[in-house]
Amino acid sequence: MILPTSAKLNSPADLESLVRRYQQDNSSVAKCVRVCVGTGCAAKGSRKLYELFCEAAEQSDADVTIEAKCVGCHGFCERGPIVVVEPGEGLYQRVEEPDVAEIFRETVLGGRIVERLLYEDPATGKKASEAAEIPFYRVQQRIVLAGNGRIDPTRITEYIADGGYGALAKAISSMTPEEVIDQVEIAGLRGRGGGGFLTARKWRSCREAKGATKYVICNGDEGDPGAFMDRSIMEGNPHSVIEGMLIGAYAIGSKQGYIYVRNEYPLAVEHLKMAISQARDIGLLGEKILGSSFSFDIKINRGGGAFVCGESTALMASLEGRPGEPRAKYVHTVESGFRGKPTNLNNVETWANVPHIINRGGEWFAGTGTEKSKGTKVFSLVGNVVNTGLVEVPMGITLRRIIEEIGGGVPDGKSFKAVQTGGPSGGCIPAEHLDVRVDFDELTKLGSMMGSGGMIVMDEDTCMVRVAHYFTEFLQKESCGKCTPCREGLAQMLHILNRIITGEGEVGDVEELGTLAELLEGTALCALGKTAANPIISTIRYFRDEYDAHILDRHCPAKQCKGLFRYEIDAEACKACGICLKNCPVDAITGEKKVPHVINQDKCTLCGTCWDTCPFSAILKV
Amino acid sequence: MRNMLGYVPLLRNLEGVEGDNQVPTVTIDGKKVRVKKNATVLDAAKRAGIWIPTLCYHPSVSSEASCRLCMVELDRGEWRQLVTACNYPVRRDIVVYAYSEAAVRARRGVMELLLARAPESEELKALAAKMGIERTSYPTVTESQRSCILCGLCVSVCEQMIGQAAIGFAGRGVQRTVAAPFRLPAEDCIGCGACAAVCPVGTIKIRMHPDSNEIEISPFKSRFKLRLCEQCNSPIVSEKVAANALGKLDANNEELREILRLCPSCRSLRTAGQLAAMPGYDQE
Amino acid sequence: MAEETNLVETIVDHYDGDEGMLIPMMQDLQAEYGYLPADGLRCLSKSLAMPLSRVYAVATFYSSFRLAPKGAHDVTLCMGTVCYLKGAPDILDAICKEFEVEAGGTTADRLFSLQGVNCVGACALAPVMVVDGKYYDGVTPASAIEILEDLSPAQESSDSNTKEDQA
Repeated sequence: MILPTSAKLNSPADLESLVRRYQQDNSSVAKCVRVCVGTGCAAKGSRKLYELFCEAAEQSDADVTIEAKCVGCHGFCERGPIVVVEPGEGLYQRVEEPDVAEIFRETVLGGRIVERLLYEDPATGKKASEAAEIPFYRVQQRIVLAGNGRIDPTRITEYIADGGYGALAKAISSMTPEEVIDQVEIAGLRGRGGGGFLTARKWRSCREAKGATKYVICNGDEGDPGAFMDRSIMEGNPHSVIEGMLIGAYAIGSKQGYIYVRNEYPLAVEHLKMAISQARDIGLLGEKILGSSFSFDIKINRGGGAFVCGESTALMASLEGRPGEPRAKYVHTVESGFRGKPTNLNNVETWANVPHIINRGGEWFAGTGTEKSKGTKVFSLVGNVVNTGLVEVPMGITLRRIIEEIGGGVPDGKSFKAVQTGGPSGGCIPAEHLDVRVDFDELTKLGSMMGSGGMIVMDEDTCMVRVAHYFTEFLQKESCGKCTPCREGLAQMLHILNRIITGEGEVGDVEELGTLAELLEGTALCALGKTAANPIISTIRYFRDEYDAHILDRHCPAKQCKGLFRYEIDAEACKACGICLKNCPVDAITGEKKVPHVINQDKCTLCGTCWDTCPFSAILKV
Repeated sequence: MRNMLGYVPLLRNLEGVEGDNQVPTVTIDGKKVRVKKNATVLDAAKRAGIWIPTLCYHPSVSSEASCRLCMVELDRGEWRQLVTACNYPVRRDIVVYAYSEAAVRARRGVMELLLARAPESEELKALAAKMGIERTSYPTVTESQRSCILCGLCVSVCEQMIGQAAIGFAGRGVQRTVAAPFRLPAEDCIGCGACAAVCPVGTIKIRMHPDSNEIEISPFKSRFKLRLCEQCNSPIVSEKVAANALGKLDANNEELREILRLCPSCRSLRTAGQLAAMPGYDQE
Repeated sequence: MAEETNLVETIVDHYDGDEGMLIPMMQDLQAEYGYLPADGLRCLSKSLAMPLSRVYAVATFYSSFRLAPKGAHDVTLCMGTVCYLKGAPDILDAICKEFEVEAGGTTADRLFSLQGVNCVGACALAPVMVVDGKYYDGVTPASAIEILEDLSPAQESSDSNTKEDQA
């Protein structure tokens, strides 16, 4: 158990001796049980598990020190709650309350494995006794997520014992601000929030901008549906973000930073607040940090519920206490941003990469990835995939490896249809391109983008026109409404898509969508509007046949759009049980005992009740 | 080098910004004009005698460029970028195309979207006609309040010029409207009518109610009694505007206060009378 | 009014009068009342020396803010195809007339908030009305009104659910 100190650190040497002290404290702990309390596992009751383990540790009369601690998201959310026992890194998955006693007795005290709680590879049946053996983790390269699942995010002591804030000490005491920027430039770090700008260039421009007051901002407004990378980092390792911002502020010459967290992430806000307070207590935030002349502090602000606030100028407007409306970027925010001052805004994951770059050097970082996309990227792999969760992989890995090797492929014997990347600003990538090497530029060439890292896998039952409709509707609700093309253009595109999915599509609709897409891209005020038509355009590009089927044949090939497919009873599978007949609200089904039932298509309202209630799966979607 | 979002990498944008040229040259559709540094492309176009349609632009307030009507193409060397003329700052020599095919197509697209939104506005139709656009190819799918196109000029003028900020935007997206807080009669309105004066589509109207001697700003529901001329009893301005103006003069300025109580015609008569009474004044 | 003034001033002090913290201030105000009372917003405007129109713009821009209190009960009427065919519009009309409420709104006594939705997926039960998560099947205008009349009245004290409501 590491006991916190209340003494302020006045020099890098102070930090070093603190690290040594913490590591010594740690070494007296013989066994540790780490329970994930990230939002996913917590939703399955992992907090209670943590409490039970704590109790067990306290009541144990073993003569070694045993500790239970709560940690942030491991990423393997599909298999939560996750419990890891040290030493040995034995990973247990889908742990329930009755398992706690057994784990404690067998593994913690006895050093034996509880086989049934280990991960079992569905393909080979092999059990993995360590995390590293699990395919989900084996292919990953966890650098930004390294601390997640190992350290307790609510205790700065753990971060420090793990080497945290060492990069800050190194930067402040042995590097000039320009040298810090040089390392980030050599690293080739590009923004992880979607824009993909070269981070060093941004920092340099901000540093060189006129004016003494400069701001650094962390964009924690992760709004893409299906993306939760930043949430995990903010919840599971908040100090990594703070340290990154400290180093950036030092390089740029800023004294004040802001972390803007979206309203829907209360746990992230809580952990960040704790982290900031603890960092202040020992002098890592505030005046004269580690005895240098560098002073910096951070304020946390929350969003009010608006996707558009992920856009940098909208975020700054929101930080100023205004509606989150973007503004023109003809004069960039590094020159005139928050409150009209030079401002450097970076995404959570971008900031979290910085300490690693300073610790191990820009060249080390540039050793991973592709020519123009260096380092690793955290993706959230969700949708129709066996292993949903967070994965961190080197840039340049193929989509296929991510989805099949790490993700375990598409479940229930269905086939892969497409993967949506880049959220509402991105596009879908079909099976024929699964071997694309994932990086900023390759995905863009295919008509999508990496975006913040959301990857939504879709199987054969997905209607791609509905996917376009879903994103368009989402964007229309989230549009700030300031500029004509986004506000009116999205409404027009949604109107057309509504007609298409209800069987009222007209010849020329696809072309009209293309015209509107071009108009939005050229004239919209901000990136939300400019990229708003991407989901539509990319689904047209790869799935034009589905649009044609909806428009020309009034038929939905994926059988998702109500009214654009029929229900029929499979005469061979039908057991004439009569359940569908009894439940049909419009009496459209006829049949007698032992005679296969029939649906009267003229009466049928396509409500799907028969599909829902048939116990023999004898209803077919046609 | 253009990336997907149409943004130019930062390094390019800052080239030449620190240059000493205080009067850069804008070549617009072949015509060269010089403007003061940080003037806009619209300023350059005016100087060059090239008309670019605008809606949300007004010289008296800062431009948000929200209507997106004044699109022009900016030459970036290997490619061209569509920018809004009313707020693109000229910081070095640039080449601009106001009547290239892409610029005209962009402006047409925006106007057609606006016509679909506000089909009843005569002012909008007139502007469209001037642009050579007779009709819109889009159906009306959004509802505007009396043709409001959300240009925001009324909001900006009330806040920046009049200093009252009586109205503002409310809601978001297609639900966005211009409204007084809580959609009640605007509490901070003084009935000056500046909003009606700048509205480019005829949404905001000043209504006079001679029977109750009131002025109303529609659709914001604010009504004020009108101050009448002390001389001829004709209405001058709303009581609040008059009170504001009078309140800004100290008690010693009785002469000015007297003038403010007269309507414009009576003021002219008064001034003429004073001039006539001056020694050496030659009346013809 | 005085109660709101005191609370607002406490909130503004807590954030050192920093107008950039307007959203967190509004969140704290809403946490107390379950919605943003108009007078509370007027106090904010005064305390921060910010135009009321801007305070109102912020309150109406972000999805997490409510300007009207939610009802004590949540009433949802399905307007999916089958329910529609079986008379849902008539039921909606009847409820609106009887309780003087609009779809998407809340009754004046805050008894319930009413919403029409597209298909709750229970077509065999059409027409369907959902009250606080409980499904009522085969409702008629008369039976719907009866069910709603039986709802327990709204409590006087502020909702204990308000913090969750914001999430």
